[in-house]
Parts: sequence; C-alpha cells; structure tokens
Amino acid sequence: MFVETKTVAALVPELILILVASGLFVGSAFCRCRQAWLVVSLLGLAGAAGVLLVGAASVTETGPLVTGPLRIDELAQSFRFLALVTGAVTLLVLTKQATEGLAGEIFGLVLLVTAGIMVASMSNELVTLFLGLELISIPTYILLFLGRKGKSGSESTMKYFFLSILSSALMLYGFSFLYGIGGTTIIDGTSQFPGIRQAVEGMNSPAANTNLLGFVPFAVVLITAGFAFKLTAVPFHFYAPDVYQGTSNANAGLLAVAPKIAGVVGLVRILLIALPAAAPLTSETAPVASITLQTTWQLLLVLSIITMTIGNICALWQNNLRRMMAYSSIAHAGYLLIGLSAAAVGDSSYSGGVAAMVFYLIVYSLASLGTFAALAALGAPGKEVSTLDDVAGAAKTHPVLAGVIAIGMFSLAGLPPLAGFWGKLSLFLGAVSLAMKTDGTSAAVSYWFAVLAIAGVVNAAIAAAYYLRVIAAMYFQPAKVDLPASNGWGPKIAAVACGIAVLVTAYPRPLLQLGQRAEEQLPKVVRHDPAVKQPVAFHDVPRQ
Amino acid sequence: MNQLLVATILMPLIGAVLIACLAHFGRDAVRYIALAVTVLTLLLAGRLLLNFDPVDPNFAASSLDWGGTPATEATGSLGLDVRFSVGLDGLGVWMFGLSALLLVTSVLVSWEAIKDRPALFFGMLLLLEFGCLGVFAARDLILFYVFFEFTLIPLFFLIGIWGSEERRYAAIKFFLFTLAGSLLTFLGLLAIVLWDQQHSVSGTLRFGIAELTAGLRDHPLPLAWQITIFAALFCGFAIKVPLFPLHTWLPLAHVQAPTAGSVILAGVLLKIGVYGFLRFSIPMLPEAAVTAMPYLLWLSAAGIVYGALVALAQSDIKRLIAYSSVSHLGYCTLGLFALNPNGVQGSVLQMVNHGLSTGGLFAIVGMLYERYHTREISQYGGMARRLPILSFFFLVFTFSSIGLPGLNGFPGELLILAGMFQRAFANLSDPQFRLIALLALSGVVLGAWYMLFLVQRVFFGPLKEPHAHEHDLHHDIHDLSPREIAALVPLLVMSLWIGLRPNDFLKPSEPTLMALVSATHEPLEEWQQQWEKIADKSQLEEQAAPVASAIGVAAASENAVSSTRATIDSADLAATRN
Repeated sequence: MFVETKTVAALVPELILILVASGLFVGSAFCRCRQAWLVVSLLGLAGAAGVLLVGAASVTETGPLVTGPLRIDELAQSFRFLALVTGAVTLLVLTKQATEGLAGEIFGLVLLVTAGIMVASMSNELVTLFLGLELISIPTYILLFLGRKGKSGSESTMKYFFLSILSSALMLYGFSFLYGIGGTTIIDGTSQFPGIRQAVEGMNSPAANTNLLGFVPFAVVLITAGFAFKLTAVPFHFYAPDVYQGTSNANAGLLAVAPKIAGVVGLVRILLIALPAAAPLTSETAPVASITLQTTWQLLLVLSIITMTIGNICALWQNNLRRMMAYSSIAHAGYLLIGLSAAAVGDSSYSGGVAAMVFYLIVYSLASLGTFAALAALGAPGKEVSTLDDVAGAAKTHPVLAGVIAIGMFSLAGLPPLAGFWGKLSLFLGAVSLAMKTDGTSAAVSYWFAVLAIAGVVNAAIAAAYYLRVIAAMYFQPAKVDLPASNGWGPKIAAVACGIAVLVTAYPRPLLQLGQRAEEQLPKVVRHDPAVKQPVAFHDVPRQ
Repeated sequence: MNQLLVATILMPLIGAVLIACLAHFGRDAVRYIALAVTVLTLLLAGRLLLNFDPVDPNFAASSLDWGGTPATEATGSLGLDVRFSVGLDGLGVWMFGLSALLLVTSVLVSWEAIKDRPALFFGMLLLLEFGCLGVFAARDLILFYVFFEFTLIPLFFLIGIWGSEERRYAAIKFFLFTLAGSLLTFLGLLAIVLWDQQHSVSGTLRFGIAELTAGLRDHPLPLAWQITIFAALFCGFAIKVPLFPLHTWLPLAHVQAPTAGSVILAGVLLKIGVYGFLRFSIPMLPEAAVTAMPYLLWLSAAGIVYGALVALAQSDIKRLIAYSSVSHLGYCTLGLFALNPNGVQGSVLQMVNHGLSTGGLFAIVGMLYERYHTREISQYGGMARRLPILSFFFLVFTFSSIGLPGLNGFPGELLILAGMFQRAFANLSDPQFRLIALLALSGVVLGAWYMLFLVQRVFFGPLKEPHAHEHDLHHDIHDLSPREIAALVPLLVMSLWIGLRPNDFLKPSEPTLMALVSATHEPLEEWQQQWEKIADKSQLEEQAAPVASAIGVAAASENAVSSTRATIDSADLAATRN
C-alpha cells in the first residue's frame, strides 16, 4: 500500500517544485542572475500548477483518492492551489528585494515552503503530515535569517526558530498518543488497513475496551497546542508580532498565510477525521469516551473566543503596520476556529464549518497577500514601509496600490459585498445554527455557540476600527514621507492580482461550492439516531 | 419591467465603473457622466414608479444567481442559496424613487463645491446610489444586509475626504457606530433564517424575505427568542434611525459631511432603520414588537422632544437641522410603533417627507456655505434681502418640515399623530400612552418654534453678512444659479404633490403595509384584553375612572374609525382641507 505508483503520481507537482528548488540551490552557486532564477522558479510553479490542474477534474468527479499516506480530496486540492498562489505571490514580491547574491537560494526556499504546504494538505498519515510541516518550517527559518536586517531581525528569527521547535515537539508528543491509541500512523484507513479513525470507532461498542480513549484528551490538547502555534492562536501567538515586525513585508506575507494553511488542514485531519466526535455513545456504556469526545469542541471554542478577542484588541494600539497585521492574523485564526469548533461538535454529518473554513482561509490569504504585496511595492530594497505614517496620503500618490490595500482591509474587516463578508457569513451560519438547535443537542452546546457567535460579531466590529485607521491614513491624511515605490514590477502585479481576486470573490459562488465539496468529501461522521440518548457531559445544565 | 428594475439598480454601478475608467479626462467629464447617470436612473425609476402595481406582490421582481451553492440531499449540506433578488412593493417603492431623486440633487449641489479628486467623489456618490436603490428593492435577506452595510463604505469616504475640519473623527465614528449595531442585526437575521430552516417542512435554508415572513407566521418563534432577536435587530436599526440615546453619531456626521453626503444621509440612509423595523422586526417578530411597543414609543417621544429642545439651542445651522432630523425620525418610529394603520401609513409617508424637506434644507445650507463659508447663525441676518430665491426655497422647505397644510409634512404628521392618539385613547389602554401622545404633540409646537426662530434670525431682520476673509469678494455673491434652482425644484414639486394629493402616495402602499402589520393583530388583541382585565379590576377597586371629559370624547370618536378605512378617511380629510 505504501509504495504505489499512484502515490508517486499524485506527488508529481511537489516533486517538480523540489527538483526545481534543488536545481536553483546548485545552479545559483555558479550563476548569480536574479531575473533568470525568478523565471525558472515561476516556471516551476506553473509546471506544478499545470500537473495539478490535469488531475483536479478527476477528484471533483470521482471523489477522493486515498493512497495510504496521501488523501487527495477537494480539501487537499484547494489548499494545494492556494499554496501555489502563495508561492507565486511571494516570488513576485521578492523580484527586486531578494539580495542579488542569494536570489537563487531565496527563490528555492520559497518553492520548498510551497511544496511543504502541499504535502501537509494532502497527508493522511502522521509522519507525512509532520514532514510537510517541517518542510514549511525549516526553509522559513532560513528565509527569515537571510532577510534579516540588524538586531530585531535576528531576534525575530531566533524567536521563531525556538518556538517553532517547541511546537513541533508538543505536536510529536501528541502524535505519539494517537499512535498508541490506534496502533498505526495512518489517519483514515480502510477496513483492510485500519487507521486511527477506524480504531477509535471500534472502541465505540460497549463491548470494546475503551480505556485507551482516556488518552484522547492528552492527544487533542498537545496536538492543538502544536497547530495553534502554526495558526498563531492565543496563547501560542506571542512570537507573531515580533517576528512580523522584525522581518520584511514579503516574508510577513508568507508567514501570515503558509503556516495557517498547514495548521487548518492539520487540525481538520487530526481532530475531525482521526478522532470522529459524533460517535453514538451513551454515558452508561462509555463514560470516559463521552467526556473525551466533548473535549475537542470545548477546547476549540474557548481558543477561538480568546484568540479573536486578544488579537483584535491588541491590534487597536499598533502603529506598525506589520505588527498590526500580525495581530489581525491572530484574530483571523480565531475566526477560523469558529468553523472548526462547529464542525467538531459533529452532531450532524454536515455542519458547514469546514466549508466555511476553506472559504475563509482562501479569502483571508488573498487579502493578506495583496496587502503585504502592496506594502512591499510601496517600499524600496532595504527600505520597508512600516508605520501608519509611512502610508499616509498614499491614495494620492499611488492610487492603485492604496486601492488594493483598502480592498484588502475592507475584505478582512468583513464588509459586504467583499469576499471577507461571505467568509464571516458562512462561519456565523455554522455557529448560529448550533445555537438555534433545540433538538438533539445539549443545552451547553447551544448556549456556548450563542456566546461564540456574539463574541464573533463584537470582534468583527472591533476589528473594523483598526482596519479603518489604515484606510483613513491613506485617504484622509496628507503625505508625511515620500514613498519610493521602487521594488520593481513584481510586487505591483502581485498586489493588483490579489486585489482583483478579492473583488471577483464578491461573486462567491465558485469558491463557496469548492468549500462545500471539500466538506462533503470528508469521511462521513456516523449519524446520530435521534432516539439514542445524547451523551451528557458533567457540566451540562438542563435547558430552561 | 422586471429587467428594468435590475437595470435601474445597476445603472449607478456601471456609471461608477465608467467614471473610474474615464477619470483622467478631468472634472468636467466626470461630473457630466455623474449627472447623466443619475438623471437616467431617475427616469428609469420614474418609469417603474408610474407603472407600480400595488397588489402585485411580484412587481418588477427578478431573481438572479449570486452567492449560492445549492443544497445537496445526499450529504445533508444546506447550501447557501443567496440570490440577487429584487422587487418593489408598497413599502420600498417611494423610498426607491426618493433615492433616485435626491441623488440628482446631490450631484448638482456638488457641481462646483468638489475640487479635490472629483472622479473619486462622483464615483463614490454613484456607489452610494447603488447601495440606496438596492437596499429598498432587496427581496433577499442577505442581499438587504449587503446593501445595508455597503452604503457605509462610500459615505465613509465622502465624509472622510471631503468633509469639514473634524472629518476623520466623524467618518470613523459614524462607520464604527453603525457597523457595531448592524453586526448584531446580522446575527439576528441569521437566527431568523436558521429558525425557519429548522422548523419548515422542507428544511432548506431560505433567504427570501417574503418566504421567511410567511414561514415565521406558520411556526412563530417562542416569545423569549422573539425578544432576543428583536433586541439584536434593534441594535442596528435603532442606531441607523437614530433613536434617542443612540443618536450621538448623527449630528457629528451631518456637520462634518459635505453637502451631498448630508443630503443623502438625512434623506435616504436614516430611513433604512425605519424600513428595517417595518420590513423585519414587526412582521417577523410580532409578539416581541407588541411587547416592546411602550419602550419604543417612549424612546421615540423622548427623541422628538429632546431633538427639538437641543435644536433650539444650536448656533450652527447644519447642526440645528441635524437635531431636527432626530426629532422628525422620532415621529417615524412613533407612528410605526403605534402599530395601527394610521400610524404606519403616516410613518411611511413621513419617511419620504423628511427626505424631501430635510434634503432640501441641507442642500440650501450647503449653497449658503459655499457663498459665505460659515454656518454660524449669529453671522447671518436679513438674507432674504440679499438672496431672495434661496430664502424662498428655504422658507418653503421649512414650512414643509414643520407640517404646514398644503405641503407634504402635514399629512404625514397628521396620520402619525392620529395613529398615536388612537393607540392612546382608543378603548382602554395603558395611561402612559396618553403622556407619550401629548409629548409627541408638543414636539409639533417645538418644531415650528426652532425652525421659524432659525428663519427669523438668518433671513429676516437687518442685513448682516458674515465677515469673509476676502471682504472684497462680497459683491461676487449671487443668488441661486439655474443649476442650483434645478437641484431644488424637483424636491419642491414633490413636496407640493404629496401635500395636495397625499392619496396618490398613500393608496399604492396601503395593501403592503396592511399585510405587514397584520401579524401584530393577534398579539395586540391579547394585549388589549390584558389591559381590559386590569382596568376592570381597578374600576372595581376604586369605583371610578377619572378620565377627563375631553379625553373621553376623543376616545369615543377614535373608536369609531379604528378600522383600516380610518386611514383613507383621514388622508382624504387632509386632501380636502387643502
């Protein structure tokens, strides 16, 4: 099962990227031509995208392709494309910013990060997932290190390095519990080759030994902690503001998106697929399990509320744009977790939570990448645009780039009809739906999701305040400094493309459908029989 | 007709794109495009309004694919079938027309005033028109919300870039205040949709406003949920109106906004709040509406009196008119939450009236400001001699605003007060309503006081011209130009039309409005019965019902006409009196 031709065939886009990256590492030792290497790496991305496109149709039509370590479904496909977009935007932004002597290496590293996201998105196995995550992290360390300027750059690099290693360690520890429970590293197997999911499901019968399920909370907490670092969820967010501030706009754009994609997909794979929540348990037959299976959504819900609140409130005080965007990305991690916790309750086979997350992540990424690309375009090599005062009056001198930033800000703030609004709409639909449920759900679920939805909209209002400050600075204030805007054509193209993409998503139909297909292709959760009594957690309160 | 409505709504959007493309041709090209687009939109809207069919629930309706993903049975996914579904009914139709009309005025008053980035200005103005037209035509809940919020973006730029000194603060305060409220409204609307989904037979997510209203009638929400959702909707709509304690953003935004922004803000955007109450809160949550009725009436009455008193104390013309808006919008919500045919019809008519009169007043204040660069009342005096045409228009819109018979303000205020008095004195009801009705009546007197006081100070008395920085420029100050007259005449004509023949406007909206408030009949009856019980008890205990004889007479006469016909009667009365 492991070494199959179709596994290798599925990996062709990633292999292309890694081969091109290796070629760049070797080649750049002999030739220091930035433009040429840029073209080569863009061609590599285009080749990978071409191969991916050829295979994409079959996934939509025939459903997911599971080959042991890989699971290629719509979720994987959409994030693989998003990874390629992220890679392409980052490369374009770096057109002139990559130091001439190191251009080949820098472009190669971006390609490796891209490949890492792609591997992580389609992994169906703990080791493959971990490999994908490390393939994102290790090149990122080097990218941050290569782009460092002075003490703050070095500090941010070291901070990211140590905390990232710590989070990997936590995650691996969590993985070891999963291995202990399931006896395998495969997440979702078949009846012939059972995975962790099958093992957990097997423990649902009253006859089975459920003692091992007691380890589920340990695994859930540790793994969530590890992925929360990637997602920059509170309390694992402390590195983000410092790192973003210390690095360049190009790197910040990559950091705001790449680890988030991996974090989201990892959490979906582990928390939703490996540990199916809605097993028809009763508290009499499996008291341990009934508690453990509630852990996931409770944990995610609390993380979500804390993350978005702290992210948004801290962002209000920032004058440094990258620092503000770091807190904004923390807040958006909180919004993403709304969808995940709604999906983790799992009291029906389709919650809309995963679909909303896929949609939200894509539109968040486009808006963030566009904003950072536009900020990079306004700067010059060695001179980053950093503070609110730097962009003051930009609307008069650079109307197009200011327009892209404004569109990005409005979309991130979730104002209709821009893409961000549709993301918030689908996330809140999931949460309010659980809050309104009067049948088949415990009162605690409906109470806490009402709290979550209210926290979500209050946060959306707070968030608008700091996004508006940026727009107000650009449009309502006179210029305070001259913006050089001499980073070449690359960042401008990237920024305008992202801006147009966000505008086009005001017609959200195709992307919403993508999200819906992604959720539909996830393994089905065992449906509750309404007659079966719901598991009652120890803190459940009776509904008034 | 069906495509015509979509074309009318999209016309300003196309115009905005056109302006963006042709921006480098300079100010003239841009403003002529803007004028052409708004006039064309007005003509299209006029054609729709002339053909309006009050009994056809699907008048000019069309429904295009938009956000949606269809539901799939197999996986149980609900889909998200949001549609670009628009249509006109008796509630939205006049506001739709008013939006198109006021936008022409706005373009004309900004003709010379806007020198900085004119392409961006007129582009934003057209985007604002797109939002205004859309919000009154939307038949899909999410589409309504999209337009509702979308109007914030262009107005944010209009205030922030072309406003007065404190424009940045005003723009951000206006935006955040409104957004914070409307996000809670958003949650409330989602809760309505999901309740319907979980209790309807089909179990699908429906976003059509008409379907949801019918659905909630079949399986109403429990009272506790109704009140919660009503409170959520209230947050957004009450801030938008704005109701009394939530009005603080309005005077600031009005004073800082450029003239066109003020005209649209007062004329159109504030009405979205009233519209929302009537479109969603009352028909979908009737029991909660009846429960909340006394509180909302108190807030409205407080707004009427407070707005009028604060207006009396203002020294800035624009701020005075802004506070008068708080007072006038109080009448709209007062009539609405009297929850009877007279009140509701008056309230809907008053929405249009206030748009015409206050829109006109703001436009004229803008013209005055263009000439003298100050809005201080104490700087002016005897302007009627200096600018007779401007003074004429100001006086007419003042009369319209204070409800002089023959102009549009009169039938609106009359119906609202008739509705309120009917609620207060008909049958037995809570005595606090009588106090509210009297307070509202006192607002009429106060309104005449502050407006006429303003007119007296600015336009009459000895001539006093502001000391402009350039003294020698005073001989350049001319009366209204033909362009400015053209901006005001349509508003004047409409004021006269509504004032002289209110039935032309009341009749077409009657069927829709009666259908919308019919949901409240049952809860209102229950409420009435409760009061009768309480009244019986107190009569037994005290052996007396000390009701003043005048009140008794009023109650008796109002009793007789407490049916739907009463609306028409009093409207006819209004018409014949003229």
